[in-house]
Amino acid sequence: MHLGILYSRIRRDEKLLLSALRERGHEVTKIDVREQRFGFDTPPEDFDSVDLVVDRCLATSRSRYATRFLDAYGIPVINSAATADVCADKVKTSLTLDSAGIPTPATEVAFTTDSALQSIERFGYPCVLKPVVGSWGRLMAKVESRSAAEAILEHKATLGHYEHKVFYVQDFVPKPGRDLRVVAADGVPIAGMARSSEHWLTNAAKGASTAEFEIDDEARGLAEGASTAVGGGLLGIDLMETGGSYTVHEVNHTVEFKALDDVAEADVPEQVVDWLETVAEDCEVTAA
Amino acid sequence: MARGERGTMAECVECGADVSLPDSPEVGEIVDCTTCGAELEITETDPVTVEIAPELEEDWGE
Repeated sequence: MHLGILYSRIRRDEKLLLSALRERGHEVTKIDVREQRFGFDTPPEDFDSVDLVVDRCLATSRSRYATRFLDAYGIPVINSAATADVCADKVKTSLTLDSAGIPTPATEVAFTTDSALQSIERFGYPCVLKPVVGSWGRLMAKVESRSAAEAILEHKATLGHYEHKVFYVQDFVPKPGRDLRVVAADGVPIAGMARSSEHWLTNAAKGASTAEFEIDDEARGLAEGASTAVGGGLLGIDLMETGGSYTVHEVNHTVEFKALDDVAEADVPEQVVDWLETVAEDCEVTAA
Repeated sequence: MARGERGTMAECVECGADVSLPDSPEVGEIVDCTTCGAELEITETDPVTVEIAPELEEDWGE
């Protein structure tokens, strides 16, 4: 197959993927999203003759718009614009998961500091304030008192981009020092890992330690359900343990998997390529 | 030294120090200058050239 890798930065994840694809003899075109211009009628030249594009844009905004154009051109893209649209926005993700019956932390959205403060007081302390767009644990606030809440809200209202005035307030889930990441392809888990830290944020990007997580039936079912709910694709589904059960707090649409590959028995990039091959075959059948 | 071979070096465009490159460097890959801490983006591989990498933006991530 001829695969286009849409990127702006080649991380170790992309390098692993490129290596696995090339070793199998697939043609790969690296397409730097920063060099592209998207018009209505014809795709940029770099997309000529690709069977499938894998969106690995580092910037969520670029990912959302570029995949929308690819959809319009009829060029198959992983993940789809619809999936990117939901996963890139925490409000849309929470609503989508809840509507699908997937357990997800209780959340309220408010648009003024006064109404946000009411949400915070209703959840009680601690609770969590998150930006609606963002990753790697940045700008997350564990709110432990009313005075802290007032200060954080004032800062967000005064200093922030308009998106920071969409106050996303969430119940604090007292996870057992770790959360879980399941990488799945169309809902079928490839591997899972636990990310542990003494800090309340357990993102690998924040330096959490990682270990393989043996995916049980419940986590498998939730990964499948969450994947279906957001439109499928190659996804990183984040779960927290809630004493005998799980809650899904995030679904990542340009998932990083290098940390998972380091700890998992499965060869993650190889399995991703296995799945991409089936997607490309399906695209050929559909196009024929 | 052959392209991509371990030990390939580039010159940091910020401080001029030698910067080690990874195996099989890729355009778009980021390397850190251990002397000045600059993040450098590989912009060509034959021969290797580097530029200062773009600053982290708010919507970056996964």
